[in-house]
Amino acid sequence: MKLFWFETYKIFSRWRTYISFGFIALIVIMTEVVMKLSANEILYRMMRSFQKDFLIFGNVLNGWFITAFIMNSLHIHIPFFITLVAGDIVSNEATSGTVRLLLIRPPSRSKIITAKYLTTLFYTTGLVIFLGLICITLGFLLFGNGDLIMNYQTKLRIVFIPEAEVPLRMLLAFMAAVWSMTVVASLAFFFSTLAENSIGPIIGTMAVVIVFLVLGNFPFDFFRLLSPYLFTTYMVFWQRFFDQPIPWREIVRPAVILGLHSIGLFSIAFIVFNRKDIKS
Amino acid sequence: MEDDSRKEVILRTRDLSKKFGKRWAAKDLNLEVHRGDVFCFLGPNGAGKSTTIRMILTLLMPSAGSIEIFGLDLRKDRYAVLSRVCGIVEKPDFYLYLSAYKNLEMLGSMTCRVQKEEIMEALNVVGLTSRAFEKVKTFSHGMKQRLGIAQALLTKPELIILDEPTMGLDPQGMKEVRGLIKELASEKKMTIFLSSHLLSEVELVATRMAVINRGELIAQGSVSELLDKEPMEYSIQVSPLDSAVRLLEKLPWVEVLAAEDSKIELRVEPGHASRLNRFLVSNQIEVLSFYPHRTLEDFFLKITEGTSEI
Repeated sequence: MKLFWFETYKIFSRWRTYISFGFIALIVIMTEVVMKLSANEILYRMMRSFQKDFLIFGNVLNGWFITAFIMNSLHIHIPFFITLVAGDIVSNEATSGTVRLLLIRPPSRSKIITAKYLTTLFYTTGLVIFLGLICITLGFLLFGNGDLIMNYQTKLRIVFIPEAEVPLRMLLAFMAAVWSMTVVASLAFFFSTLAENSIGPIIGTMAVVIVFLVLGNFPFDFFRLLSPYLFTTYMVFWQRFFDQPIPWREIVRPAVILGLHSIGLFSIAFIVFNRKDIKS
Repeated sequence: MEDDSRKEVILRTRDLSKKFGKRWAAKDLNLEVHRGDVFCFLGPNGAGKSTTIRMILTLLMPSAGSIEIFGLDLRKDRYAVLSRVCGIVEKPDFYLYLSAYKNLEMLGSMTCRVQKEEIMEALNVVGLTSRAFEKVKTFSHGMKQRLGIAQALLTKPELIILDEPTMGLDPQGMKEVRGLIKELASEKKMTIFLSSHLLSEVELVATRMAVINRGELIAQGSVSELLDKEPMEYSIQVSPLDSAVRLLEKLPWVEVLAAEDSKIELRVEPGHASRLNRFLVSNQIEVLSFYPHRTLEDFFLKITEGTSEI
């Protein structure tokens, strides 16, 4: 616990940690303000495909919808902010030479690496929660409350979630988003144990995420076959919490696959760190 | 009693070896550090000093051999051993974005519970009290080195391991660090294990030493014991010169090497230095100056002759 506290104190003593929070706040504020200014246009685009068939009343463009919209848009960008800390947390100790200071202390390497990993997860969770809170708070201030209407154009489906049910769905979706981001954090963390500077792990992780996303989205049969083997395919499973009813089967499988990825990556990082010779 | 305690071996390596690829960085090292020693581990750059220290501090895994500290096996009793040991490997790197105080608090707490007063006391010993709450990134190299010693003092270790503690320091900084090392050994009764390639440093601070070259142990023992094995060269300034030379040439334990301008260069068998001075004075020769040429450097070069790459 003490080691976890030290690690947390260290990462929150560095300005780079706040870059992510600052940029997320900036992006969310800009997006929501622009959406507020273009509310009519957005509403028209949202409704045009089904306004002939449905009569919809109430506040459609509300805080919940805005939050779901931003989550959908940012799931590629958030990993980058996560890697800033996760890719740096071990490698930076090597760059700055403090790894020597740390590893000659009585606590074992296993405890140190576990504390660092838990801190990485804590930061990841904090970042996603921060995104959620700022989206919802600002969304409510600018757009108010209402039912959540999700228009899945690719599936030709519209889902209505009553206002009373939305908070729980949103909470579950954010928990799933944290779970997804944990894999990115674990990947960056694993790279961080291999490297002696933070650039490699940050770029390496982003490269893997981007390449996997691109491969997973190519509309060719070969890439469709490849898709189930790419963890990025499962990262948007949080969207399933906005289906009606919640398709639990479609949630459990990706959650388990992502969880296994996180455990696997941490286990390798754990072994690498424990066996590593500190030559720098 | 004191002799017995001085003989207590608190650090012992048995056939300690480390191989990187095909190269042995350290091979079959059998070191013994006694309680109360200022033990200097001497060797040229690349001899294997840092590799050995890193193995002792668990930064490197030995390829073979074992390390015993306070009678405990380092591998099996890592926590118990490292709770009583502190070290600085190469340069003292701290979290630059944290204050000196916070660095010590964090690092100290990883070993034991530390109070604010103890942190301030450690900073006081190294003269950094006034900078306690400033970020380490504003510190000079010398100040970081002193902060390194402060963190070593904080947990009151019985054994302090310092890798090249004066490296990169200006002469004033070197003097301060050497002073601190002596103080730790004499006043705080700590055992110091330090590595250096600065030969003068060993003469100034060490009580015992080991010499390593190309990963192999060449010599080990007390500084005086090792140095007194070899004849020593002196330069003496005397008056009158001719009489002095004539007298000295008759002595079997003295070899006159050169005599010029009231100065004589000579080689004396081990243990005869004070006898030589007495001999000259008792024969009405005025001794104006008397200083040894023998340095650890001579000793070092001699024993590493043919193997050293310095």
